[in-house]
Amino acid sequence: MTREKLQSLSLVLIGVIAFGLPLLVRSPTYLHILVLLFLYAYLTTSWNLVGGFAGVLPLGHSTFVGIGAYTSTVLALQYGVSPWIGMIIGGGLAVIVGVLIGLPTFKMRGAYFALATIAFAEGIRVMVENIEYLGPFKLNGPRGLQIPPLNTGLANFMFAEKEPYYYIILVMLIAVLALTYFISRSKLGYYLSAGGEEPEAAMALGVNVARCKLIAMAMSSFLTALAGTFWAQFTLFIHPKSVMSLDISFEIAFIALIGGRGSIAGPVLGAIILRPVSDLCRIYFGDKLPGLHLIIFGVLLIVVMIFQPRGLQEPLTKLYNRFLDRFAAQPDRIR
Amino acid sequence: MTILDLKRLVKDFGGLRAVDGLNLSVQEGKILGLIGPNGAGKSTVFNCIAGVYPPTEGEIYFDGTKINNVKPWNLCKQGLARTFQIVKPFSSKTVLYNVMVGSYVTTDKRSVAEDRALAVLETLSLLDKKDIKAGNLTIADRKRLEIARALATEPKLLLLDEVMAGLRPTEVDEMVKIIMGLRDSGMTIFIIEHIMRAIMALSDWIVVIHFGRKISEGTPKDVASDEKVIKAYLGEEYGVS
Ligand SMILES: Nc1ncnc2c1ncn2[C@@H]1O[C@H](COP(=O)(O)OP(=O)(O)OP(=O)(O)O)[C@@H](O)[C@H]1O
Ligand SMILES: [Mg+2]
Repeated sequence: MTREKLQSLSLVLIGVIAFGLPLLVRSPTYLHILVLLFLYAYLTTSWNLVGGFAGVLPLGHSTFVGIGAYTSTVLALQYGVSPWIGMIIGGGLAVIVGVLIGLPTFKMRGAYFALATIAFAEGIRVMVENIEYLGPFKLNGPRGLQIPPLNTGLANFMFAEKEPYYYIILVMLIAVLALTYFISRSKLGYYLSAGGEEPEAAMALGVNVARCKLIAMAMSSFLTALAGTFWAQFTLFIHPKSVMSLDISFEIAFIALIGGRGSIAGPVLGAIILRPVSDLCRIYFGDKLPGLHLIIFGVLLIVVMIFQPRGLQEPLTKLYNRFLDRFAAQPDRIR
Repeated sequence: MTILDLKRLVKDFGGLRAVDGLNLSVQEGKILGLIGPNGAGKSTVFNCIAGVYPPTEGEIYFDGTKINNVKPWNLCKQGLARTFQIVKPFSSKTVLYNVMVGSYVTTDKRSVAEDRALAVLETLSLLDKKDIKAGNLTIADRKRLEIARALATEPKLLLLDEVMAGLRPTEVDEMVKIIMGLRDSGMTIFIIEHIMRAIMALSDWIVVIHFGRKISEGTPKDVASDEKVIKAYLGEEYGVS
């Protein structure tokens, strides 16, 4: 078997396992944990378009989750619009907000950019918390919105079991990973990385760095908002603290940094490592030590940054490549 | 034919006048050398031309149009490429990746960009290093990579800022050969260099600046024997060989 074939085979194998997992994992609790794991892998992969490739550290992506969740929910509750359509509209709204936030903030560097994105996200959350009605749209302030679980089925994006949610988020994750793969190999991917690493050199080579970052931000906002709708349909109850809180933005950043920013596998690896920590902490220490998972993340981040500053994807990718080299037949031996 | 024309170019940094009323022009197919003591304002001239700083006063014409406020990336698309005195490689990326960023400027197709990048690496004898991370290159190779990236944008005019600084004598000779090869292929080059034997060998015409002002210009021979030039450099170890 050649190296390429072995590589595709291992990817297909991972895919088969992912699709087959619900046949083994019957417990709704564990399925729930898996759904959230994939959701965060998806969120972090979307974030990675800006936070990884474009080399800045946005810490306000919870805004887009919230926009997605609220848009589809409000449209469904008040106008009976299918959440699938609301999802796309929410994505469009998020693009507008993302570009409006990006325009002034992309001129800032490092910590200033991160702080500015936090400020915008928190500002928007506090506003939503204090708004009962936004024009004709009922947001219901801090109490949030409940989606009555009446009409289940694919068209209504609502299911009694966890399995359909599992497959939807899995497909979304695979799609966003494929998109990231193609972007990373495209002109835009090259321009984003170049502009993130050495903006002056990139500009001299014909790269409009600010515009590339805005394009990445637009895509990232759109994709993140889709996850917001998913979240709303999965939990059927949203409020500002659940879908707009900074905790979401921070957890995304932790997953990305520990898994490896700017790589394709990093966000998925990070989610596989961090999500169970987060869930198990909440299950076992939720009442006694509510913030424990964040402390563990902090310690993990320090350790990873000391030994693997480019994230855990680097040693794992090396290991994977060595495995491929070891088990792939040498081309000349085939002949 | 004049490809680049500076008219009374002035650049102030706060109270400091780094470039002071500079006139010069670059002829198509020729190599123009720009020399002057440290801090004379040479790199600032390049930065003004390449769109990094808008000039305080004066005009810059490239290929017949005024480019005073044109952005760096648009200048690159119009055919003006430059290297940086302090090299700025995309360190975490391979040599080929670095050069492809340049070659993407005229195409959206990956295969086209890759082919052109490989061709440029070939001419600069960097092909065997194409898969090395740019951050792991020697200083000589990093300087070459700067040129390779700039060339990959297929420029009409190439600005080279001290691409030989820090090189060993044999490496300087190689670089001189590379630049001569570029000139022979029809490229117009504007070069800043401290290594006198290199700039003397390469340039068709040399402009000397001191405190941002032009103090002399002429053929390498004329400039080397100009009293004012020798005075400006006095105390520093610049021998003309
Ligand atoms: N961005 C800047 N802000 C403020 N002052 C600057 C800036 N860039 C350059 N200068 C100043 O302008 C003057 C000219 O600098 P420049 O780098 O153009 O000199 P140079 O001729 O390239 O010198 P060298 O041979 O050392 O490279 C110097 O006094 C320098 O300190
Ligand atoms: Mg200089």
